[in-house]
Amino acid sequence: MSLSRSTRTVLVTGATGLVGGATLRHLLATDPEVRVLALVRTREGGAALRLQLGELGSRVAPVLGDVRQPALGLDSGLRSELRGRVSHLLHSAGDICFSRPLEQAREVNVAGTAHALELAADLGASCRFAFVSTAYVAGRAQGHIAEEATGGSRGFVNAYEQSKHEAEELVRSAGRPFVVLRPSSIVCDSRDGSVTQVNAVHRAVWLYFSGLVPMLPGDERTPLDLVPSDWVARAVVQLGLDPELNGRTFHLCAGSRAPALGEIFDLTDSILRRDPEFRRRGVSRPEVVPLPTYRLFERSVHELGEPKLVRIVQGLSHFIEQMALPKTFDTRGTEAAMGEPAPRVLDYWPRMVSHLLATQWALTRKVPEAA
Amino acid sequence: MSAGLTGIAYAFPRGRASVAELAAQKQLTSEPEVLRRFGFEEVRVAVDETPFEMALQAARAVLEGVDPESVDLLLYAGTPSAAAFQPPGAGSGRSVLRTLDRFKYPGTRLQSELGLNRATTLGVGELACASLFGAIRVARSLVASEGLKRVLCVASEFFPEDAGREALFNCTSDAACAVLLEQGAERNRIVAQAQVTKGYYWDCEGLREEIVASYFPTARHVVEEVLRRAGWKGDDVSWVLPHNVSLRSWEVLLGLLRLPRARLFSRNIGRNGHTLAGDNFVNLADALQAGEIRAGDRLLLFTYGFGAHWSALAMEA
Repeated sequence: MSLSRSTRTVLVTGATGLVGGATLRHLLATDPEVRVLALVRTREGGAALRLQLGELGSRVAPVLGDVRQPALGLDSGLRSELRGRVSHLLHSAGDICFSRPLEQAREVNVAGTAHALELAADLGASCRFAFVSTAYVAGRAQGHIAEEATGGSRGFVNAYEQSKHEAEELVRSAGRPFVVLRPSSIVCDSRDGSVTQVNAVHRAVWLYFSGLVPMLPGDERTPLDLVPSDWVARAVVQLGLDPELNGRTFHLCAGSRAPALGEIFDLTDSILRRDPEFRRRGVSRPEVVPLPTYRLFERSVHELGEPKLVRIVQGLSHFIEQMALPKTFDTRGTEAAMGEPAPRVLDYWPRMVSHLLATQWALTRKVPEAA
Repeated sequence: MSAGLTGIAYAFPRGRASVAELAAQKQLTSEPEVLRRFGFEEVRVAVDETPFEMALQAARAVLEGVDPESVDLLLYAGTPSAAAFQPPGAGSGRSVLRTLDRFKYPGTRLQSELGLNRATTLGVGELACASLFGAIRVARSLVASEGLKRVLCVASEFFPEDAGREALFNCTSDAACAVLLEQGAERNRIVAQAQVTKGYYWDCEGLREEIVASYFPTARHVVEEVLRRAGWKGDDVSWVLPHNVSLRSWEVLLGLLRLPRARLFSRNIGRNGHTLAGDNFVNLADALQAGEIRAGDRLLLFTYGFGAHWSALAMEA
């Protein structure tokens, strides 16, 4: 059954997260008829979410629950009430910490997805499932990564990638209508460069600014796939909630338009150099070195035991290997379905770096300690 | 106007101490096993010698067969003032700063004792392990601008007894080194030189981690700059003559430079440790003496001096 746009009722998990939050805002702003149920863990969380959304918040009904609980923790009464009335379950909740042990990562990313699928099944056959995954389920694979590839054949760099891969497998085998959406690294809002959630990319720029990153593994020509949150939100709404798209997987990525690592470094350097303090410190552009050289440096830092450097290389270690595994995500399916590619990274990247500089990583002060 | 090094000599004090002995004497801050893994075996330690005596010994050796009155300039880049005349354990010599003794300069005394009657003297300071590179830079400039024919550059540095024997993961030695730079010399011709100074890192102890992080990319930048000025590519380099910081750090730096490990003249790191006086030139002298460097070989010398200075030389043997 195809629900009309005006009758859409969407249950969103991860509504306070980066993708869920941006998607929720975009959905409410572009569909005045949509009804949204947002899974929150506490009443206070629900109130805060509505407050954050301003006027749009009045159309959001917080639902108490927890992705770590069966059926997302919704009680049977509420499930009965919602049965047959939810057109889409948008599952964007996830544990995005790269340093978690696999078992812990699975608690939210795999078990949480199983619980979301369980609820979707309970809500009825018409409830379509949109799953926000990651392009990095490709793990250690290199080269061209097809959108339909299930990933994982070469292993994974961290438990986050593996747990998301396992969750995708659950979604595909659940036997219900689904769409898998795989963003790459989401960095900022392309319109003003603002950053709402700090991730490894922002930490890396902070470390660069601080002069604490002498080198990174890889090649200057390695593509660095980044996407803006506003475009990802558009893509999730457009592709994730489209009833015509069933069983598809989409790379929400820059794809062949991703800039090279060297280009990003050059651009970042030129922006940071506008800062007098950065110039005074004489910070050098980090070197891009072969992985064995980086590993030797990493090992040396551990042997020497300088606490700050040890923390930095440990924090980087959970994802840094990806930089030495060049890959280009195929985005042809996404572009055909959306009618547009992701915005050009080099156009909005300066806005993001300028934003980080202007706010002095205000959001990120406590973050550089660990990934 | 070209210039090259026609003489290189060095002097080490009599004492030696292994990494294990230094650890037993509480002269190290890192674990001895880590320092051994990083390539250090032993260091040279002054017993009762003074920095001046070592400087004199190295300078006499480099001037052997040279008319002292043919030297136009003496550049002294070693332990300053009164401290140069103090053996280990004699204190810092600070008290003499209140008297005329403060003007007892090692550079002028060297001039006198070596009979460099025509030479003027200049001091080069505050470059730490890049001191001799700084002296050569000044010498080369004065050869070009004033037409000097012969310049003697001397560096001599000891570590005070209470300073320990480790500087940021490197085992340190006492030593002196002297080089004779001559206008138009064919051998060991200096092709290019490059230096970067980043004063932000003046507080070596307070900025340890930042210094470690900045060391590698700045080193690569300076090396690439000297190669560019020389008109060479990395593949043109026959030998890399290091300052004797840890072998591990050189392996990382060679990785950055995409230069093979086999081109690094590294055998002195373990047995000499790291001197402030001029590791690169001690290594050059030994490699020449051993016949490992042949005429025409292209040499890359790189050093880092606290303060902070990154300095590189391109030379043709």
